[in-house]
Amino acid sequence: MSEPFEPKIVAFVCTYCTYAGADLAGTSRLKYAPNVRTIRLPCTGRISPMFILKALQKGADGVLVSGCHPGDCHFTHGNYHARRRWMVFRSLLDFIGIPPERVKYSWISAAEGVKFAELINSVTEDIRKLGPFDQYKELIEETEAEATH
Amino acid sequence: MITQEQYRTRVKELLSSGTVKMVIGYKPGSTPDRRRPLFIRTAEEANRLVLDSACITNLSGYLVTEGLLSDEKKVAIFLRPEGIRSINILAAESQLNADQIIILGFDSTGSVVKTLDGTHAGDFSELLGSIKQNSPVKPSEVLFEQVEQMTPAERFAFWQEEFSRCIKCYACRQACPMCYCRRCIVDSNQPQWVNTSSHTLGNFEWNIVRAFHLAGRCVECGNCGRACPVNIPLRLINRRMAQEVIEAFDHFPGLNQTQEPVLASFKKDDSETFIL
Ligand code: SF4
Ligand code: SF4
Repeated sequence: MSEPFEPKIVAFVCTYCTYAGADLAGTSRLKYAPNVRTIRLPCTGRISPMFILKALQKGADGVLVSGCHPGDCHFTHGNYHARRRWMVFRSLLDFIGIPPERVKYSWISAAEGVKFAELINSVTEDIRKLGPFDQYKELIEETEAEATH
Repeated sequence: MITQEQYRTRVKELLSSGTVKMVIGYKPGSTPDRRRPLFIRTAEEANRLVLDSACITNLSGYLVTEGLLSDEKKVAIFLRPEGIRSINILAAESQLNADQIIILGFDSTGSVVKTLDGTHAGDFSELLGSIKQNSPVKPSEVLFEQVEQMTPAERFAFWQEEFSRCIKCYACRQACPMCYCRRCIVDSNQPQWVNTSSHTLGNFEWNIVRAFHLAGRCVECGNCGRACPVNIPLRLINRRMAQEVIEAFDHFPGLNQTQEPVLASFKKDDSETFIL
């Protein structure tokens, strides 16, 4: 049997809550799946859907977007704006045929180190089950092949 | 024909009295079923105007041409209900002052053209309200239903086939009254957000971004799809987005000028069932 598939996951997180939560997970020495590459941004309101697309286009199998719980945003309502955007973006991805299950959303506060570790594990498991994002991988290959002509 | 004569007379009055400096309407196009935009500044030219059921282009985009309205003079324009909605959105997004726009409203069923009563965008609120009421039950086309019924993999294959033909000419953007950004994301090259070459991967990106930037702002006038040289059914994506914003946020774009853009506003109790 070959090795189990190790998905590549990109996490876009806000610096004030989820990143601090991730830090807490680290300083608490919690162990979690190493499949996630974390990218820190000022706020979920700064996370353009474009970032999510770029991650998938660069070969990610899944994306996680996470920020402060509603009411806790450092900029008071960046996460409320983000929530609306995600809602619409999800249905757009679905309609285009990009499985919305590859993109996960969560609220994790600075105090939720345990939730962070558990979430990373469960998201990694979910994406592992979905398998590699072959549809995009084929397009990536095609693009690279074209570029070398 | 009666409507056309009625409106030619109206246009003559508007121009000869100096009420408006320009009228934007339609003239014959290159084939019998095509119309072209016409811009006239004198009453004598009014007879060149054509108004019939083939006048389908949403002309409102011409109003945001740089400098056109900056002298605060008025412009009259032929618009269908979707065009009137565009005016409301452009006003709500601070792109124009709706008081400067005199609307020559019309609509058609089959080949019959009828006039719409009203002068300014605000006068049509009742009509637009009733269109909103009917929008969820609007019969959707067969292809839309088919795409909805597909499995995700089939849908991906469907769009892959469609998007693979895209040549990134951006005609869909140019034709859209809502695409007024001086610098579109596709023109930004530091960083280069959207790849300039038209490979399928980048075409997915472009078409997703286009649809997303128009979500909650598109009035489904169809300009984009008609402009597309390779006939990508952009209307299907626009329909899905229109459906989403009305279902999720009860938002019908272009209802009035004070409507907040749906993706630039929020409610504290917006749905978040998908958030972990
Ligand atoms: S996206 Fe297309 S249908 Fe929607 S407003 Fe723009 S041109 Fe019209
Ligand atoms: S008009 Fe059609 S071919 Fe041109 S960029 Fe838009 S979708 Fe692509």
